[in-house]
Amino acid sequence: MSAYPDDLLYSRDHTWARVDDTVITVGITDFAQENLGDIISIELYPVDSHVKQGELFGVVESAKTTMELISPVSGYIVSVNEDLFDDVGALECDAYDTGWMIAVEINDLGELDDLLDADAYEEYIEQVEGRR
Amino acid sequence: MDTWRFISYRTLGGFENMALDEALFRMTHNRGKRPTLRLFGWECPTLTIGHFQDPKREVNREFCESHGISVVRRPTGGKAVYHSTDLTYSISACQGPPFSADILTTYEVISKCLVRGLEKVGIKAGVVEEGRRNLRAGVQGGSCFATPFRNELLVRGAKICGSAQLRSHGRFLQHGSILMDFDPVITARITVGPGGDMVQWVRLLSESVTSVNREVPMALDAEALAPFICEGFEEALGIRLESDEPTPREEAEKNRLLNEKYRNPRWNDEGRL
Repeated sequence: MSAYPDDLLYSRDHTWARVDDTVITVGITDFAQENLGDIISIELYPVDSHVKQGELFGVVESAKTTMELISPVSGYIVSVNEDLFDDVGALECDAYDTGWMIAVEINDLGELDDLLDADAYEEYIEQVEGRR
Repeated sequence: MDTWRFISYRTLGGFENMALDEALFRMTHNRGKRPTLRLFGWECPTLTIGHFQDPKREVNREFCESHGISVVRRPTGGKAVYHSTDLTYSISACQGPPFSADILTTYEVISKCLVRGLEKVGIKAGVVEEGRRNLRAGVQGGSCFATPFRNELLVRGAKICGSAQLRSHGRFLQHGSILMDFDPVITARITVGPGGDMVQWVRLLSESVTSVNREVPMALDAEALAPFICEGFEEALGIRLESDEPTPREEAEKNRLLNEKYRNPRWNDEGRL
């Protein structure tokens, strides 16, 4: 069984995607946040922004690092988790639920084919870590 | 033996330095994943601020304007760094040996190279093993040099080099500034927050920061230190640095970033375009 929730899809840029019809909820994986260390703050594109698969939708900051957040899908942002602006703690303790970042109305469901399931993402992580 | 690309020491303006580093970072995938090391200086005094810093709260803009200090927002994180005589490095690379996805490990690898380079001019630097990682509790003032973080460099307990990273798409850009000289008063004047205690801030910086020229008997400048730092990288990693220049595509990307981003007051003031 994978260490990552099996009801989600994952990108190679370490974001997860929860599919609910045409609305895709997006966050970052435990792997991403653990490597970042203590996250201090976050900036997210606002509602109604258009994001593209493989391109920026925000930035997170840890003690010494800025990490760009890369969207797993294309579409318009329909919702943003503004609670994170006041307290980013959910990214570390509840990355797959209250740590969600944005919800996107997807343009093309076919883009989901480019994402990985939990087992494939775990394999990808092993490859990434194996390169150390 | 692995080779890295090396862009040799030169001085540029603050906006140009940041634009070139971001261009090298954005085009890392186009270079067969070979890391690039660049060593550089500053044509005029420049304050670089971290990607997330608020210059209204953390920088004395009036002092900077009246003293001809340009202010530019870095693409990397961290706190403000006042650049004048320092030797600055940037590394643009993909994750993969000798670097990993783990940020602290990447800092550690680079710090070991810098330790080796500084040894060559007689400076015995050490890597911070248990530095502060958590910024949420807040750090007084906005200077990078006020607080050592894990895997950064200390000499006799004082910080000599400050570093910060940007990560995206499995690649990273790390900036670092090796202080050749350090003036705690000017750093304090620039980075003391509104209502901050200037005297206490100068004392803290004086105690917690050192510089190359405080540690060596003969005065060195950044350009003279650069070859020793190169040797440090080559020896610590068992690599060879190959001199190179930015490609025409990288130059074009640098010019685009310069005009659209780094000369744009909206980026420097608000951190957005």
